[in-house]
Amino acid sequence: MNRFRIALGIRAQLLLVLTVFLAIPWLGYEYVRELERFLREAQERTLAGTAQAVATALHDRPRLFEAQPAPLDSLATERRVDDGSGTVVRALELSPAPLTAASPDIAQIIHGLSRTTARIWVVDRDQNVLARAGSLKRPESLPNDGSESGFSRVRHWLEREMLQPVYARVLTQPTEDFSDERAGRTVALGKDVEGALSGILTIARRPTADGRALIVAAAHPIWVGDEVRGAVIVEETTNVVLAERNRAFARLFNIVLAALLIGSVALTLYASRLSARIRRLRDEAEAAIDAHGRVRGVVAGSRAGDEIGDLSRSFSSVLARLSHYASYQENMASRLSHELRTPVAVVRSSLDNLRLSPLPEDARVYIERAQQGLNRLTHILTRMTEATRLEQSLNDAERQRFDLAKVIAGCVDGYRIAYPQHALELTLPDAEVMVEGAPELIAQMLDKLVANAVEFGVLGSPIRIRLQRNELNIEISVENQGPPLPDEMRGRLFDSMVSLRSAQEGDEPHLGLGLYIVRLIAEFHGGRAFARNRDDERGAIVAIILPHAD
Amino acid sequence: MSRRIAIVEDEPAIRENYADVLRKQGYEVVAFAKRADALAAFGTRLPDLALIDIGLADDIDGGFALCRELRALSATVPIIFLSARDSDFDIVSGLRLGADDYLTKDISLPHLVARIAALFRRSDLLAVPQASEDILERGQLILDLKRLAARWGGRRVELTLTEFWMVHALAKFPGHVKDRDALMRDARIVVDDSTITSHIKRIRKKFVALDPAFNCITTVYGMGYRWNAEE
Repeated sequence: MNRFRIALGIRAQLLLVLTVFLAIPWLGYEYVRELERFLREAQERTLAGTAQAVATALHDRPRLFEAQPAPLDSLATERRVDDGSGTVVRALELSPAPLTAASPDIAQIIHGLSRTTARIWVVDRDQNVLARAGSLKRPESLPNDGSESGFSRVRHWLEREMLQPVYARVLTQPTEDFSDERAGRTVALGKDVEGALSGILTIARRPTADGRALIVAAAHPIWVGDEVRGAVIVEETTNVVLAERNRAFARLFNIVLAALLIGSVALTLYASRLSARIRRLRDEAEAAIDAHGRVRGVVAGSRAGDEIGDLSRSFSSVLARLSHYASYQENMASRLSHELRTPVAVVRSSLDNLRLSPLPEDARVYIERAQQGLNRLTHILTRMTEATRLEQSLNDAERQRFDLAKVIAGCVDGYRIAYPQHALELTLPDAEVMVEGAPELIAQMLDKLVANAVEFGVLGSPIRIRLQRNELNIEISVENQGPPLPDEMRGRLFDSMVSLRSAQEGDEPHLGLGLYIVRLIAEFHGGRAFARNRDDERGAIVAIILPHAD
Repeated sequence: MSRRIAIVEDEPAIRENYADVLRKQGYEVVAFAKRADALAAFGTRLPDLALIDIGLADDIDGGFALCRELRALSATVPIIFLSARDSDFDIVSGLRLGADDYLTKDISLPHLVARIAALFRRSDLLAVPQASEDILERGQLILDLKRLAARWGGRRVELTLTEFWMVHALAKFPGHVKDRDALMRDARIVVDDSTITSHIKRIRKKFVALDPAFNCITTVYGMGYRWNAEE
């Protein structure tokens, strides 16, 4: 046995098993990340498609690019610096405009193609912005509450107050509050633009300057003949994807959480019921057998069809069999003696007949011996039935109120004559001690106690018989000097057929029924019997506790 | 004319042993193993005394039934139960059915013979006027030792033979304690202590039934019983 074993109830064990399901949210997280990847790819493809579509609309229309772009600085605060090695436009502190166009024709075309969440640029070979449409920022949508039912309001409240903060910790939240540094530029810079101008469809991803959003851009070259005349850039933040991912995650997580919650509650209830049933069975089983190992009652078998019902039923049948066996054992002596009576009667009547016949003198000796043996046998048989007869007579014994002190005093007078070699010391209280019961049974009980004390007592040592009137009960004790009681026997001394005596030659048979009779009589009087060693371990005390009359 | 005793007993060895010893005493003995055989014979001729075992082979209470049937044939024939069963329940049932005595098979044959002789004496002498030397008088108690009959305050107390001998043993020396062994000896039975106790209880009840104030038999706990002289 492991000394450090942790005692866990069924409920705790089931809940522990339930923690396995905590892997589900993790799986969900992985799944959502995969989903996000897909969404991003889809977004990129969409952007590339859009860029291509716009570029297709602008291909081979050199006229559009020929019209020298009017400076985009009609709104002022813009400087153009020509350093000779190509045109570099530095845009400064431009107020963002939803639609800005240096080339009105292009602007018109892309305006028709623009989407709400994407921004489309068209640049010429020198990366000058020819036209721009759309905005990266979406208008913040307001959460709508109002037409919500009570349940969904609770759910939303739970989501908002309890779950969203958790999700916000795990997932990056899309925000429209980022710095969009490209918004007002008249010159578009970046790998995507450069790639497209060199004739390749380029998709690039870049964080905003403040790092609060990620922008995906697809740039497609615009061909006039074999020449790249410009590029279309379609930009979009990943906010749509993030929002989609977050929504999927929250939804999944909410469902898993609800399932886990319902599952745990159901399992806890189930485990409680299970353990309550097992506990009840345990209590019943424990109550069915008393401290002496006697079957007191039989567990009522449960009618439930499951294993616990089975267990209860098999407990019930085991106990029933045990109690049959116990009663078989207790009645054995009586039945045995009953069965033996008839053959003994045969022997006795034959001997009696023999005695009445003329016989040689030496034959009489043997008849006498046979007769002695028969008498001993009869005595044993009588003793064997005593307990059973007592049990029968207890059933119809008449109860009366009587003075216990008087009965004990009378009995002890008798024992002084019967056991002259032992000094009997009797201690009685001054007042009378009234009990309810049968005085002749008390006398019979005392007979057994004193006979026991005499037998185990050291010859010549005093036997103390004491009657004590306590506040709660009455105690009769018989004490003798002699060998102490072995520990392992102490609980069983008062059982039927249990004897401390070693098998030795003697004329008194020892069946171990004496203290059993004592117990039966004590229990009849609503009391109990117990044995203990003297404090100095040099003797034994058998005590009977009886209740007061009324 | 020799007296005729019927023995109804299913165990052949015991039956023959009893029959033998009774024949040696000069009785005529008829022995039966089964209740039906015995009853058929009783219908033809009544025995002078019947010795009946309660359990007859498979018929566990056959003896009781036989006793009832025999009592119906004759109200006076002495009946003795002789059984291995010694529970109070059996004894009380047997005596209620009208048996004159209930003995267990522990009894020795000489004791059995003495009882049979006593019962015959009792039935013989019921009609004959009594001689005064065979009367024991203790206050209201009158014991007729010849007829084995007891009277209390002039009314007859129906005692079995065993009970009569116990009352006699106690009343002979009022004030003396008779222990259980002495009572057994005087009543010529071998039983255990609790059987003596129940005998004494039954005797008391029979007297109390006639006289609720009856208080002459005292238990001296641990020693035995005593007959108190009335005040």
